[in-house]
Amino acid sequence: MSIRRISQRAKDEKTRKLLSRIIRVDQAGELGADRIYAGQIAVLGNTPVGPIIQEMKEQEQEHLETFNKLIVEKRVRPTALLPLWNIAGFALGAGTALLGKEGAMACTVAVESVIGEHYNSQIRDLMEDDPEKHKELIKKLSKFRDDELHHHDTGLEHDAEKAPMYDALSQVIKVGCIGAIWLSERI
Amino acid sequence: MSTSTGDRNPPQDTSSGPGGSASSQTSNGGYNTQRTGQGAQYSDELDNSEDLVSEVEEEEMPEETEEEYQTKQAVLKASLPFVHQYGWTKKAIVAGAESLGMPSMVHGMFPRGGAELVFYFYEESNKELESFLKQKVTELKEKDEKIKTGPFIHDAIETRLRMIIPYIDKWPQAMAIQTLPQNAVQSWTNLSRVVDDIWFYAGDKSNDFNWYTKRGSLAAVYKSTEIYLIQDRSEDYTDTWNFLENRLEDVVSAGHLARNLQETNTVLSEGAKGFCVMVSQVPTIPKPTEPNRNDK
Repeated sequence: MSIRRISQRAKDEKTRKLLSRIIRVDQAGELGADRIYAGQIAVLGNTPVGPIIQEMKEQEQEHLETFNKLIVEKRVRPTALLPLWNIAGFALGAGTALLGKEGAMACTVAVESVIGEHYNSQIRDLMEDDPEKHKELIKKLSKFRDDELHHHDTGLEHDAEKAPMYDALSQVIKVGCIGAIWLSERI
Repeated sequence: MSTSTGDRNPPQDTSSGPGGSASSQTSNGGYNTQRTGQGAQYSDELDNSEDLVSEVEEEEMPEETEEEYQTKQAVLKASLPFVHQYGWTKKAIVAGAESLGMPSMVHGMFPRGGAELVFYFYEESNKELESFLKQKVTELKEKDEKIKTGPFIHDAIETRLRMIIPYIDKWPQAMAIQTLPQNAVQSWTNLSRVVDDIWFYAGDKSNDFNWYTKRGSLAAVYKSTEIYLIQDRSEDYTDTWNFLENRLEDVVSAGHLARNLQETNTVLSEGAKGFCVMVSQVPTIPKPTEPNRNDK
């Protein structure tokens, strides 16, 4: 085995690519989550569960604004699939809400669990790269991850598991989210 | 679109071997983070703990070191004056290397041949453009003036295209080299860098799909003006700068057209809705009563 020293130039390039990827996919994710909740509110807005979804949507909106600012600040290219996630998110939210309140909550639980894991792996990557340099961002991501897990628990509290075909529905949504994350990181 | 397109790019590594550069994504979806205990042991011995040390397998192609990079840059810089004589080719690189006292075998460091010279020139010009843009922004800030997007972009493109003029005799060859499929990705990246820098320093703050439409339209303007430039015979290329101005105006009017269409669409759909409401009320209009013919 041979040892090569990577130049500082290449190291900076690696960090820049890591940051771009993280911020790009997080912006797409928060937009998607915001639109999912919007779809759910369109169907369930007038029901007792409406205000709860509204509160979660407002938190997602805060997250989205943070990432919108970071995109401009760090000169990151936003994903070209934003219009697609806009429509798909709303459709997913409205579609699961039509299955009733339990369906909407099941969708929330599935999405938030994927997002929570995803934030965790991003925090790990940032810590591995340079914990000092990324301190601010790591703090923000940790807070957002805690918010998302809180949403996840809220969904469970409101009978997510009573949704029709809960296991299948949950699996399909999780796989879809993971696919969307993979795509947004690259495109 | 490749992953590096559109993001700000420092000059690309030009030594991509069979394994690709280590800064590309590994198949586990993460990054090459093999900082094992063994690596730490070696780094102590080599006494360079600031440098990042990574173990590489025999099969993986290591990234070029800083020394290699500097050498290549020096050779390419020395080769540029020979472009007028030999074109953007390996011959020019050999001539440049020999002018620095290096053996002609050095051209082996440049597997893509003349294309490497084209990319070097493009990237150096991009760096020059960026410092010009930075300086302009600083000047405007000192005078406390706002950036006027139209003239700013016009100046930026004109400045960047003027850098080609010293090599304009051989630039058509450079453009042809850039259209070759094996060079297409790098050329696209270079062009993206130009338009991204121009928009960024012009003050673009878009964070949605507008990011793409703005850069796409500017890239089209830049490319078409470049093509016009290489056949322009006017004094100081004034025809080219007029062409540029017209293309920029087209972009602006296209933006207005899009907005007008949207407004027209709103007006029309509101009108259609109103019409439907009106038509739905027709059945409620009472029929006019007939005069009683039996009244006499």
